Amino acid sequence: GTQLRSCKDEIFFDSDTLQKHIRNLVREKGLEEPGSDIVAMVSHATQEHLKNLVEKLAFIAQHRLDIIRM
Amino acid sequence: MFTSLRAMREYLVMSKKSLHDLVQEVDPHEQLDEDVEDALLQIADQFIENLVSSSCMLAKHRKSSSLEVQDVQLVLERHWNMWIPGFGTEDIKS
Repeated sequence: GTQLRSCKDEIFFDSDTLQKHIRNLVREKGLEEPGSDIVAMVSHATQEHLKNLVEKLAFIAQHRLDIIRM
Repeated sequence: MFTSLRAMREYLVMSKKSLHDLVQEVDPHEQLDEDVEDALLQIADQFIENLVSSSCMLAKHRKSSSLEVQDVQLVLERHWNMWIPGFGTEDIKS
């Protein structure tokens, strides 16, 4: 049958501070306190967003250096 | 957001360390200027604020008093074309 394996979820940003920040944002909108899964998801999404940006920046920087060399 | 200046400094140091780890993961030879680090952290903050605010608007739209994973998921998919696996649903996205 299918065998499932799992590993510990690693949160990118300091989760306590991030949790406080998100809790404040949600409270400002008049909603109840969010769960830890929301914090983990926002953290993963932020990590992904930054990773995409850094990949593009690295590509652009390399392109700039290639032009200078020519 | 921060109760003290110390908390803010600790948060910045932690965030910068996380950012360094992330850059190392993308390219081990890549180095960031301090200005670029600050700009990226600011972008991350704005991203978090936008994401949480839009998700809260969705939660309110479905007349709920609490924010749920599905709200965040929908915003990520529609606004950012992003799928974070392992949250909320049993379906495995191909």
